Amino acid sequence: MSPAETGAAHGRPVCVGDDGALMDVAEAVAADWAALGVRGSFLALNLDTGTRLGFGVDESMPLASVAKVPLALVVLDRIAAGELDAARPVTVDPARSSVGSTGLSAFRHPATVAVGDLLLLMLSVSDNAAADALFDLVQVAEVDARLRAWGCDGIRMRHRMNHMYECAVGAAGNDFSLALELAVRDERAGLATIETLDPARANSGSAAALVGLLRRVWCDEIAVPGATAELRRLMGSQVFTQRLACDLRADSLRWSGKTGTFLHLRHEIGVVEAESGDRVAMAALTRAGRRAALAPDIELAMGAAARDAFEALRG
Amino acid sequence: MDLLAHLEAYVATADEASFSRAADRLGIAQPLLSRRIKTLEGHFGGPLFDRSRRQVTTTELGVLLLPYARDVLDRAQRLRQAAQSARRVRAVGVPGDCAPAALARALRAGTEHGITLGMRELPPMERESGLSDGSLAYALVRVVPERAALRVPLGLASAPAGTPQAPRALHLEELRPRRRRTGAPPASPPLPVLVLAEDRVPCFEERFARAVARAGLPEGRIAPAGPAADALTETLAGRALLLCTEQYAHRYDARWAPLGDTALHRGYDVSAPPGPRGTPEVPRWLTRPLAQAVGAVGAARHGDTGDLRAAGDVPARLAARG
Repeated sequence: MSPAETGAAHGRPVCVGDDGALMDVAEAVAADWAALGVRGSFLALNLDTGTRLGFGVDESMPLASVAKVPLALVVLDRIAAGELDAARPVTVDPARSSVGSTGLSAFRHPATVAVGDLLLLMLSVSDNAAADALFDLVQVAEVDARLRAWGCDGIRMRHRMNHMYECAVGAAGNDFSLALELAVRDERAGLATIETLDPARANSGSAAALVGLLRRVWCDEIAVPGATAELRRLMGSQVFTQRLACDLRADSLRWSGKTGTFLHLRHEIGVVEAESGDRVAMAALTRAGRRAALAPDIELAMGAAARDAFEALRG
Repeated sequence: MDLLAHLEAYVATADEASFSRAADRLGIAQPLLSRRIKTLEGHFGGPLFDRSRRQVTTTELGVLLLPYARDVLDRAQRLRQAAQSARRVRAVGVPGDCAPAALARALRAGTEHGITLGMRELPPMERESGLSDGSLAYALVRVVPERAALRVPLGLASAPAGTPQAPRALHLEELRPRRRRTGAPPASPPLPVLVLAEDRVPCFEERFARAVARAGLPEGRIAPAGPAADALTETLAGRALLLCTEQYAHRYDARWAPLGDTALHRGYDVSAPPGPRGTPEVPRWLTRPLAQAVGAVGAARHGDTGDLRAAGDVPARLAARG
């Protein structure tokens, strides 16, 4: 623990900040989230100066769809190495594909899509069927091994996307509100009835590890530049803007991110880049203490944190 | 012998073909005129006029020397004019928000170089037209900062805060109103950004309007400042933000932060009106205090080595321009 970190008793997260003003911002965000009954972690890092602020940055959490970012990087690395063809057609049949509400996972008829476009669907609209079609080409174990080889120690890949659905159905039948209730009850009791909510058994990662991955992607310090450039481009095509991006929307700013949502989990990681040259990577991983499918106030609090952090960290 | 007075008598008599009319033209008595011509004839060793006829005529020697005499008188006239215009007050067009102490240094530097300067506070467009119509000898002319000799950071002044902090670059996106958090008190209405007359020049206004739009601010947030004192009062009262330079804000104890986008800063050239041989260079002793007066940063560093050369050239330049 660095001298700039302040500890706290009783489950209050440990804040980090490179100076007093940044520490103030981190503590204000933590207090704001706590007031909404949100637990979790937040980290923002200026990619050029290295200054950062946040709290709970090393806590490991189930990633939900944020896991699609490391998957995409491994697929893109294989494409760049010539081991996989981005134009290779893949047929996705709704009868066997993964459950989800967008893209191919919402299709009712078989569709044939190239590997490069599966990546686009997976990152732009968080398409689960597209993600699992890619997991057919690059196995979960291989993604995990590649992350290990790259030194991404805080991120673990353990299952396909559809496994989250299977576990929720296994615990609660086809009752979403029951699954949500289980998740919230377990949260209070510190249990994990639903396996994919257990950081030790799910695809998981910490805010520090995810921001570290973003930093290496944005600075071309991982995989190969062709793969990282394409990942940056694809993350810029995400259509969801209600979380970290919600108060960073201007022609002079660019947001590239990936959300993750599962039961009471609401996450997003991404990078904001300003025309002025400032670049800040961030990760917000949250667990809500309430049984609601939609919680716009939590998403607004994530967006407010993103804007506060960006303005505090930019030059 | 006052050669010029004697040559005047000679030229006037040749022009008028009469001693009395020549004396009238010069406003002297005819005997004095005659005496001067006699003295001159003695000096040149021969008669200039034939006085034997009713009408005075010029001799061959008188005709031969006449163009030389006219030339000497013309040059003497130009010499007098040059001396006169060098004594005249030379107006320097400056922006309204200059530091008076630095302008005073410019005036003193002028005196040391034998030139009387006068500072005229004018809006930017009038400084430019003053150069072309000749009413200004020098002016600080607004140009885009990338090509400017002097660069002056522009920023936003606001009401003084409790604890002074090191100014951090301010980005226009930060002026967007925040989305309200749950339970947060109602947000106060966003403060207007006031623009001084000094910044109402096409080269700045177009850029600024585009940057404001791209940062997601409505056009209505930007308003002309009106009288500078009113704008400052509103700013110090916390009811507006004033677009201005750091020294201007600090003169009135306002808080100030520079705009992060340096393309939105001010740029100035110190210019003189174009002469017959192109635009003359402005002496370093004048540009330096003017740079300080507008609050330029890293001003004209490239010119420092030319300092001695420039100082030595000053009289020659002035004579050529007179």
